[in-house]
Amino acid sequence: MAPLVQIENLRKEFANVRALDGVSFVVQAGEWIAIMGPSGSGKTTLINILGGLDTPTSGRAIVDGTDVARLDENGLARFRAEKIGFVFQQFHLVPYLTALENVMLAQYFHSTTDEGEAREALGRVGLTDRVEHLPGQLSGGEQQRVAVARALINHPKLILADEPTGNLDEANEGIVLKLLRELHAEGHTILMVTHAASIGQLADRRIDLAHGRLATEHAARRV
Amino acid sequence: MFARIVGQSFARNPRRKLLTMAALVLGITVATATLTVALEVGDRMAREFRSLGANLLVTPESDTLPLEIGGVDYRPVDEGAYLQEADLGKLKTIFWRHNILGFTPFLDVPAYVSATGGATTLIGTWYDHEVAVPDGTTFKTGVSATHPWWKIQGRWFSDAANECVVGASLAAKYPGAIAIGKTIYVAQTEKSSDIRPLVVTGIVSTGDAEDNAILVPLSVAQGISNHPGQFRQLFVSALTKPADAFAERDPKSLTPTEYDRWFCSPYISSISYQIKQVIPGVDVRAIRRVAETEGRILSRVSTLLWIVTLAALIAAGLAVAATSAAAVLERRVEIGVMKAIGATNTSVTALFLTEHLTLALIGGAIGFFLGAGLARFLGASVFGTPASPRFILLPVVLGLAILVALIGGLIPLRRAARFDPAPILRGE
Repeated sequence: MAPLVQIENLRKEFANVRALDGVSFVVQAGEWIAIMGPSGSGKTTLINILGGLDTPTSGRAIVDGTDVARLDENGLARFRAEKIGFVFQQFHLVPYLTALENVMLAQYFHSTTDEGEAREALGRVGLTDRVEHLPGQLSGGEQQRVAVARALINHPKLILADEPTGNLDEANEGIVLKLLRELHAEGHTILMVTHAASIGQLADRRIDLAHGRLATEHAARRV
Repeated sequence: MFARIVGQSFARNPRRKLLTMAALVLGITVATATLTVALEVGDRMAREFRSLGANLLVTPESDTLPLEIGGVDYRPVDEGAYLQEADLGKLKTIFWRHNILGFTPFLDVPAYVSATGGATTLIGTWYDHEVAVPDGTTFKTGVSATHPWWKIQGRWFSDAANECVVGASLAAKYPGAIAIGKTIYVAQTEKSSDIRPLVVTGIVSTGDAEDNAILVPLSVAQGISNHPGQFRQLFVSALTKPADAFAERDPKSLTPTEYDRWFCSPYISSISYQIKQVIPGVDVRAIRRVAETEGRILSRVSTLLWIVTLAALIAAGLAVAATSAAAVLERRVEIGVMKAIGATNTSVTALFLTEHLTLALIGGAIGFFLGAGLARFLGASVFGTPASPRFILLPVVLGLAILVALIGGLIPLRRAARFDPAPILRGE
């Protein structure tokens, strides 16, 4: 079976800075990958290219058979709507929309909205009684759970999580990691950027980046 | 969902929008006020100038030179040509009939007046006379319409009665014999047997030759002079457009298209031409002094108002551009997130565009009503009576508001649509 993600000799340069320098790896469907490395090693750049938020300078990044580098702006928007679910460190919810409306916003840009389904997704992350709250009325953990519900609502092929617990306290970190474990158990493919080795160990595999290059790649110890 | 996003954006994130809307409201308020006054000013100033006197004088073409001394025509009644009273209704049948605001015939008759013991001029005219129009309707006119500034003490004569009003200077000369309520006797000459009693109903002050005359109903003057149904002069008050070079062209030199355009413009010259067409054998002269001053002032006021309107709209556009640019910067993360979850440039533009259109419609409507209020105030302070709101301007004003909002928001909106989400979401 073809891998879900196939990266070949991926390079990305910003002005004179080489953020990615010939990175290659594959991810099979259903895998949970932790991308680790120090600041400036190219983790977020890699995630952004895989999510169609950025384009590589050279090389190929194929996700579910689509070469991201070949898509135009509209193609990239469609690709993000249909194949990718993003979870950001800063949650990035639209501040004037309720939890429910934030989830429905992703449905709207994908195709059509279904309030019942959006409520179900929020119930799934334990926020049944917080659906009508605005982001400002929710705790960090709750906001991140709304972001997870938003990422899942369109049944994406790939979940890209950039430091998903970076802004959370220990209790909320536990809740979000439990959610990710559940999603993985259900067969979702997750690529997660993290600094914390303890979190990286939850993944099936760890990819270490250093100076834009693949440093090590090894199976993590499952906890 | 689209409407819900826009609605929530307005309901829960109103601060920046209120700034943009305030800019629009201010611009549209000024634009509405100036446009309302500009529309009003044409009609109103024309009417104001009308109160300085009628602007057309109609006389018989083949008339002899008037023998005027001190404003009084001393020609014998049998000399000179006359116009027919029966033709006057035709004035309300010309193309610009609705611009004929009023007309008054005059017939000066030298007469013997008992109270003065000598020759005095009787001026036959109408005060408020009903004229039959050939289309079956009637039109009320007279000096009440063409000479509204004449001041009367007492009341005007009734057009059908044996009454008169006496010029203020004449009345002052004979305080015992001429006073309101007294009866004076007039005849063509001292020896005439046709002596008519006339009750003095008022003393009129005109600041002109009439102050030394006795104004009587036209029918009385016609009876005394033995010229029934006739008169010598006609003053016409017409609502006209300021004259320009085209207005002064000889209609005979115009091409058919130019002639149509000239004929269908309410120039003094075209209205005069149309009067001559319905009442042949007359000479129509514009009372130039008033008409030209009116034209000059009207066009200057009009130009000034258009400049103010344009300036207000440009200022509003610039303010909209500034607040939109700030709003777009403030909402760049929101735009980045929308793009990350699949929004295309078009859908982001559509959202912001709809917000702008909504702001334009609300701001335009508020601006219209505030502007109507401002126009009332301006009208009241400049013209003495408030300018009434013109609802015909509402769609124009809303269109202008949309134009200003779109032009002002164009650059920020294009920038918003082209934001690269990756650096924004990285917090750069």
